[in-house]
Amino acid sequence: MAETIVHTVRGELHGSHAHHPELSFFRKYIWSEDHKTIALQYLFTTMFFLLVGGLLAMGVRFQLAFPGAPVPLIGTLLPSWLVTSAGAIQPGGYNGLVTMHATAMVFLVIMPFLIGVFGNYLIPLQIGAPDMAFPFFNALSYWLFFLSGIVLLSSFFVPAGFPASGWTSYAPLSAHAQYNGTQAGQSLWCVGLFINGLASIAGATNYITTVINMRAPGMKMFRLPLPVWALFITAILLLLAVPVLSAAAAMLFCDLNFGTSFFSASNYGQPLLWQHLFWFFGHPEVYIMILPAMGIASEILAVNSRKPIFGYKAMVYALVSIGVLGFIVWGHHMFVSGMNILLSATFSFSTMVIAVPSAIKTFNWMGTVWGGSIRYTTPMCFALAFVSMFVIGGLSGIFMAATPVDLFIHHTYFIVAHIHYVLFGGSLFAVFGAIYFWFPKMFGRMMNETWGKIHFALAFIFFNCTFFPMHNLGLNGMMRRIADPPLYDHLRSSQPINIFVSVSAFCLGLSTIPFLINFFYSIFKGPKAPKNPWESTTLEWTVPSPPGHGNFETTPTVYHGPYEYSVPGMDKDYLPQNEPAPEKARIAVH
Amino acid sequence: MQASVTTIDELPAHPGGPNIIRFGMFTFLASEAMLFAGLICGYMVLRGGAGAGWQMPEALKNAETMIKTIIATLCLISSSFTLHFAEGRLIRHTKGGIGLLLLTILLGAIFLTNQALEWSNLHNEGFWFNTAGIMGSSFFVLTGFHGLHVFIGVLLLVTSLLKALGGKFTPQRHGFLECTGLYWHFVDIVWVFLFTILYIL
Repeated sequence: MAETIVHTVRGELHGSHAHHPELSFFRKYIWSEDHKTIALQYLFTTMFFLLVGGLLAMGVRFQLAFPGAPVPLIGTLLPSWLVTSAGAIQPGGYNGLVTMHATAMVFLVIMPFLIGVFGNYLIPLQIGAPDMAFPFFNALSYWLFFLSGIVLLSSFFVPAGFPASGWTSYAPLSAHAQYNGTQAGQSLWCVGLFINGLASIAGATNYITTVINMRAPGMKMFRLPLPVWALFITAILLLLAVPVLSAAAAMLFCDLNFGTSFFSASNYGQPLLWQHLFWFFGHPEVYIMILPAMGIASEILAVNSRKPIFGYKAMVYALVSIGVLGFIVWGHHMFVSGMNILLSATFSFSTMVIAVPSAIKTFNWMGTVWGGSIRYTTPMCFALAFVSMFVIGGLSGIFMAATPVDLFIHHTYFIVAHIHYVLFGGSLFAVFGAIYFWFPKMFGRMMNETWGKIHFALAFIFFNCTFFPMHNLGLNGMMRRIADPPLYDHLRSSQPINIFVSVSAFCLGLSTIPFLINFFYSIFKGPKAPKNPWESTTLEWTVPSPPGHGNFETTPTVYHGPYEYSVPGMDKDYLPQNEPAPEKARIAVH
Repeated sequence: MQASVTTIDELPAHPGGPNIIRFGMFTFLASEAMLFAGLICGYMVLRGGAGAGWQMPEALKNAETMIKTIIATLCLISSSFTLHFAEGRLIRHTKGGIGLLLLTILLGAIFLTNQALEWSNLHNEGFWFNTAGIMGSSFFVLTGFHGLHVFIGVLLLVTSLLKALGGKFTPQRHGFLECTGLYWHFVDIVWVFLFTILYIL
């Protein structure tokens, strides 16, 4: 295998420079080994999964606002595990919706958006490499990811439907078919995540090898653009955390299908072991889903503020320390699962320590924007939204880190609000910003700014209308994963908030429409993009839009750090990484 | 491509330079190590928690099984050495490379056969995934995962053999052989841990 890779890369690269052999349709669009094509494959697939996950969320919100009401239009078409004969969502089906919404959004949307799309697209281009180190495994990674999506979503069609024990699949609920009632769905969930893990590992191996070994001359580690640094740290987290989930999923699969007793207390197994294994993966996973977004936001903020990033090295060290600390805090997900008080204090402390590098990053973002000549482009709006939403989500995270507070709010909507502030307001807003920002490079055309701003305004407003009131619902005592809030006396008075949240959520779902129209219209009809529309300094903007096969005609040489904007002593307000600094110029990072 | 950049193009032309294929394989093996770390940590927690509930099946404890497993273990360990000596010979095209590689495959096959016989023996005695309690759960899943890795390793070795017979390995190009070797040594090391915790302790 390894040799075929060598031959393929060699053949393709040389082909791109000397003569251009026409690739077959299959090699060009289906099994492509070009990192840019693979990134676009990820992009379109992930956008589809985003719509699927979003529709599942709409189902969840409909049920919470109008429990027992038939689902409009499609209610009677839905399978019987999901709805009653009248077309209303039943409690078991509701659990399936919640589980699959979260599973899809984590494993099929946020991770592949950040790592599959932008990891693939940006790493070789920003470090000045012709492609990934192992193009074959890169293509394999995409198709494994695709397969995992099919396997996970196919549980819609099996008897009893979607797995229904939550995306965390806590044992013993998940480990016994007689408890969860979804033998087939839960088994497919295990298989899907195992395949998804293989895809992640293939990708991570590639990214780490590429960043370490294939940087252009002069591209020292401390000259890497921050998205590359963030993706590099993320890849290390993936490499070390995901296999543990694979091991746990395999054990759960055996419990469900072969009668082993890893997670069943009746036979000397330990239900809590599942939680430890799951969260040992699960907490690094949280940073897997936010670090690349931080890198992307840093890039967009610096470019649109026309200033060097504030504290470049501090940003890098903060990324590294968040990555390291991420491995020793998993217990904070388990304060309510029964835990030695000293252990819980330890986890509480290590969790709060993460606030330090997070705060360093936040203040550095503010320092970057401070006094800049800000260009309020659509990507900039999303990046600023990322920072502010991340602050809200990060601060509510400190509530959860404190054990005594967490005991009261852990199983409530407060934590639902928290995770959505970080994952939607944080990661997904950064993804939207990144799509607007790198779209010209990917497709050679510009997206429409006005419609982009409309999308931003609608998404930002309805995002906050949807998720901010969830804090109040949680403090009112509304539990997570209940299908019928007014069933409980203490929640009846807050049902109007639930209706408000749901209506906002529907509007949030609809706000995607201007984005989709803008996206697909611009691919074909948008104005042609120049090489460097944002006047940015990193290497991907020194090649044509979209870049040709092999990326760079000649290997670029890098002379200084990535964020040289408004350099004193220069006429131009930006200095690309492949141009040496003029004599008088005083640059920020050598 | 300029000479100062490390691309796959130059691999592994000069011995002093970085070898991307080897680097990638080590990275991948770190991930594999975490897979087994997860399984082994789970095993330790379960065993520690089970106390008296940890029942080793008689069929595993008897002397005959132990002797067979020890022989299989020695086969696997020595196969790492035979592969190491085979690699150098295959790359330099000196005598004995093919023979040593064949011997490695044979030793790996002996290990797998022994494991298959042991599983079927246990099955006949009434110990299986669902009947041997928590000890059986751990035993079958751990040895199953490892056996699968050995099986993949043997497939890689057979592929290497075919490539070697086709004259595909040169002093400049032998990434596949090198990766197979690293993988095989890794699988070997994992077995040393598994043998210790499953059979000896």
